[in-house]
Amino acid sequence: MVGSLVGIQGVGAAAPSLRLRAGDVAAAWGSRGGKGQAAVCAADEDALTLSWLAVVRALANAGRSPDEIDGLWWGTSRPPFAEGPSLAVLGSALRLRSDVAGALMSGSAHAGMEALVAAWDAVAAGHARIAVVVASDAVIPGPGTPWESRVGAGAVALVLTAGAGPAALVSRAHRNWPVLDRYRGDGEASTRDMYDPRLFREEVFLPLLTEVAGKIGEAHLWSLPDPDGRLGAVLARRLGADASASASVYAELGDTGAAAPLLGLRGVLHTPGRAAVLGYGGGRATGVAVEVNDALPGSADDLGAGMVVSYPEALRARGQLLSTGEAVPMGVPPGSAAFVRGGVEMLALQGGRCVECGTLNVPPSVHPACIGCGGEKFEVRDLERAGTVHTFSVNYSMPAPFVAPLPLLIVDLDDGARVQFQGLPEDAPNLAVGDRVELVLRRYAVERGVPVYGYKARRVTS
Amino acid sequence: MSWNRVAVVGAGLIKFGELHQQSFERMAAGALEAALASVDKGMSRSAIDFAVVATQRTTLWGHESISGNTLPSVLGLNGIACTRVENACPTGSDAFRIGAMAVASGVYDCVLVIGVEKMRDKSPDEGLLSRAATGHPIYQRGESAPALFAPFATRHMHEFGTTREMLASVAVKNHHNGVLDPYAHFQNEVTVEQVLSGPPVCHPLHLLDCCPQTDGAAAVILVPAERAAEFTDKPVYIAGFAMASDHPWMHEKSSYLGFKATTLAAERAYRMAGLGPADMDMAEVHDCFTITEILDIEDLGFVEKGKGGIASIEGETAIGGRIPINTSGGLLAKGHPIGATGVAQLTECWWQLRGEADQRQVDIRHGNVLQHNVGGRGSGVAVVNILTTNTT
Repeated sequence: MVGSLVGIQGVGAAAPSLRLRAGDVAAAWGSRGGKGQAAVCAADEDALTLSWLAVVRALANAGRSPDEIDGLWWGTSRPPFAEGPSLAVLGSALRLRSDVAGALMSGSAHAGMEALVAAWDAVAAGHARIAVVVASDAVIPGPGTPWESRVGAGAVALVLTAGAGPAALVSRAHRNWPVLDRYRGDGEASTRDMYDPRLFREEVFLPLLTEVAGKIGEAHLWSLPDPDGRLGAVLARRLGADASASASVYAELGDTGAAAPLLGLRGVLHTPGRAAVLGYGGGRATGVAVEVNDALPGSADDLGAGMVVSYPEALRARGQLLSTGEAVPMGVPPGSAAFVRGGVEMLALQGGRCVECGTLNVPPSVHPACIGCGGEKFEVRDLERAGTVHTFSVNYSMPAPFVAPLPLLIVDLDDGARVQFQGLPEDAPNLAVGDRVELVLRRYAVERGVPVYGYKARRVTS
Repeated sequence: MSWNRVAVVGAGLIKFGELHQQSFERMAAGALEAALASVDKGMSRSAIDFAVVATQRTTLWGHESISGNTLPSVLGLNGIACTRVENACPTGSDAFRIGAMAVASGVYDCVLVIGVEKMRDKSPDEGLLSRAATGHPIYQRGESAPALFAPFATRHMHEFGTTREMLASVAVKNHHNGVLDPYAHFQNEVTVEQVLSGPPVCHPLHLLDCCPQTDGAAAVILVPAERAAEFTDKPVYIAGFAMASDHPWMHEKSSYLGFKATTLAAERAYRMAGLGPADMDMAEVHDCFTITEILDIEDLGFVEKGKGGIASIEGETAIGGRIPINTSGGLLAKGHPIGATGVAQLTECWWQLRGEADQRQVDIRHGNVLQHNVGGRGSGVAVVNILTTNTT
């Protein structure tokens, strides 16, 4: 069925910082019950920042450096720009080569499966030797909708290579049917659900997925979709499949949309044998079977428990609970010449190393003369993304949209560069001089609907 | 031998505060009037042939750039030369330095240095706090004014064991001095406990560790030293002055234990004046935050590096102490209308040297006093001016 063999070399995943309990959502709307929890992005996280972390982890697990990657295929229903440079921004922040191939798949929760298949084809055809697939979502549900408490966020990345790796992609099947279920119209902020549970279950979901499952053949472990908290179990019974790995992702993170099929798949990639994943969304279903030869590096990594927040805190983080009054403009016109000059050095985190005295000048675009010796010759290089806190403050006095507490850290990176970064609010109470920190990509600001990304320093506790 | 080529023959200011009823123009006129009235033998405003106007912030109602265009007209000096100076927190003290050079060059005979600042025509969010949204979109984002100084406090505490109580002692002293200064914005004492328990502004700085946003204006009049006797029998001379710069980004400091710009400016000003820190009878220094004063008195050589907190809590910098600092109440109690700040500090220095500081008067033994500002991103600009009554 397929040409050259394509293997999976490593996997990485990321969950956002926050967790919301379904019971708290139900209570806010005056109803009882509500089981489980879902992952929610902090105000500075989104599908792009989660993707970044998942890919960084996948590359580390696969033992690959960013400049070896020939293509990046990203599937998400929530790219940061409905139209704009989402893929290019992610590629720069990942320090991928500027000639990197790839595509952004979007439009539905099926996007993650589409990205996997497209990357597979590119490697099989020999257009890319090593490709990265990342599937991520940070779906924003409408407040008060029945599925609000189940909508989660997360990301997962696979490194694909020509030839079999610890795992190999072996078969696939598709099914197309123009039915409407979950959707979001042009310009709408939150996703809606035209959802008649029995109609969807009997006429759409079960028929499509059992058909696709039949075409990809037998497997001992499955990643199955579970759009309402019940259908996953029904489908598993219908197929006689063990879907406990994907069920535990749903239990922990909620419905992670485009990331869900591959997050579930990740959970079965440490057990040798035949595994299979089914993905559904936007009237399309795809099934893929994988032959696992050895436990895949990264398939058992812990994603962290996250921080449980109240319903109002979650609404604030999602931008659905806003204070009255005007926020100060953030003064970051993203289309300006300053971003043409400084965009890559910000996203890739670069410094100008003085060839005379070795001092790292950050950022390079505004440093024609070395702060150490006045020298004028520099090599631009990527900076280390870990370091030590030299000193810090925690700012409480800023106008909206800033939110206190905001740590500001002067960090000595491990390569000797000294750079100021924002810290994370949850680290504010415990910060100390000498703390170890790692840098994570976060959304610093949104100006006229345009996100601006940069690194923040996260305290390393272990 | 000090430089002494230029004399200060008049100085004055208006009461600082939230002057919602006074326009920028009225404040400026009040400062000029006070300075003219202070000239012992009298001076007509027509004597002034050049004005240096110090103003840092832009304000509302058409004053988006107060410049040489505006001030002469509103001061009744239409037609004279007038230049605006902007140099962050040392704007006023830099205008003084430039005025001194203008007189010393021989080009001008009588120079008005006038600092005016409307801090409260904008709401706090639109004022200094909004600078959190300025600068580099990542590496300077969130940096409101307290965040430019708080990291120095953190590191000073880490390195030298400086405590929040030591920081608080600066606020307590300067509020006390402010009660003695009728021109000060705040006219109330504060306690260490009040400082410690105030709301956090930028850790480790709390509310009373910070200066307020204040409207104000101040003016001084400079003439060549050889003409001083036409205006006064108690001349005050400019013994020396200097300005210095440092890298503007917060992460470009080689140390967070002091301000390199201050150290450089002090070295140069002391050399020009032929004087040292031990020759000063008092000093007005930049105390935008309590930690700033502690770093200043170390950087200016009044106390050993690392001992600023102890010196403060032990009263060495109080009126009557070894080296009185900020007898006017400082920025913490008198207020910090940026362009006016340095000029108002120089007015306090002038009064102290002439024995006119009333309840705040310090013992003048050497006849020299020092004025200092530091500021800008990364505290990358500092000015030191030294005044003297000595002629040899």
